[in-house]
Amino acid sequence: MLHIESVVGDRADPALHRRLHHLEHRHAVDEIVIPRADMDRRRLRVTTPKGEDVAIALPRDQKLFDGAVLYIDDERAIVVRAEVERWLRLQPSSIAEGIELGYHAGNLHWRVRFEGESLLIALEGPAEAYYARLDNLFAGRRIRSTLLTGSAAA
Amino acid sequence: MTQSRHDWPSLVASRSDAPAPPRASAARIGVGGPVGSGKTALIEALIPALHRRGVDLAVVTNDLVTKEDAERLRRSGLIAPERVLAVEAGACPHTVIREDPTLNMAAGDDLEAAFPGLELVIFESGGDNLASTFSLDLVDWWIFVIDVAGGDDIPRKKGPGVLKSDLLVVNKTDLAPHVGVDLPRMLAEADAVRGGRPVVATNARSGAGVEDVADAIAHAVLFRE
Repeated sequence: MLHIESVVGDRADPALHRRLHHLEHRHAVDEIVIPRADMDRRRLRVTTPKGEDVAIALPRDQKLFDGAVLYIDDERAIVVRAEVERWLRLQPSSIAEGIELGYHAGNLHWRVRFEGESLLIALEGPAEAYYARLDNLFAGRRIRSTLLTGSAAA
Repeated sequence: MTQSRHDWPSLVASRSDAPAPPRASAARIGVGGPVGSGKTALIEALIPALHRRGVDLAVVTNDLVTKEDAERLRRSGLIAPERVLAVEAGACPHTVIREDPTLNMAAGDDLEAAFPGLELVIFESGGDNLASTFSLDLVDWWIFVIDVAGGDDIPRKKGPGVLKSDLLVVNKTDLAPHVGVDLPRMLAEADAVRGGRPVVATNARSGAGVEDVADAIAHAVLFRE
């Protein structure tokens, strides 16, 4: 088991980027895809695609992020890739509907972002479950909605 | 809870000018679930099971406006009383484990400062409803405790606590025949709604299933093999 107690750095950092580039040519970079729901954990245990058991225990003031380099030496590296997050964009048709939507989203403890006149809801389960709640709350009235993935919503 | 801070022995002891490398802190886990499901009883059963595994631990309890659960643990003789801190939520219990967990985070920090070498802090939520979940800013991993006497339809109701917890504990299995619950079916339905996340059946009073819960904690956050 490989114990990781801090993040080495960001893969975009020029010095790390150069080293990773060399290792990538030798297929020596192990990339762990971490589900979005697990990215906030300070401690977790994961198995890399190459089969290594990795025990991550970060200090409380550190967090995982997309591109976090967990381990690197001359032979290999382990890098985090955050699973792409999905968002539901809701476009209320009036101020009244927007207020009502905001009220319900708060009551449901949905994780949200604001974008102009749209409310973006992070999907932590099937989109159908969110549509079911909305249909129930809005008694069949339709709210314009679009499904987005991480980069489009960023 | 007390807001007073303890001394920081690691800082006092350091004489080097070089900044100390960041150090991972103790693992933090949550135990949540409805009122009366057996959260405190499970923790009372887990303490000796974890002690047998050599785990250095402390507990933070959450109550509405009292320190009832903390007092119960302190009197239990299972753990040194000073290793139990109490947080009074003063409102819905989930507010201090999810929306604003700072009181609990401060209690965890106080315990880590007071007991260097601490490996595990267990945060017990006040009794809540099926929508209760823990912030991952507070804990690394969390358990949701339901019980057979609460009704065998609880898993089917798909509350966020049941769906999102890292481990679902179905407690008071001994009561199943007395309350007309088909336990195997209840466990099968819990498995079905959790999409592969683990479910453990326990009787915290007799100790049945408690070792499995301790093993799950040791594996997930203490990284025992």
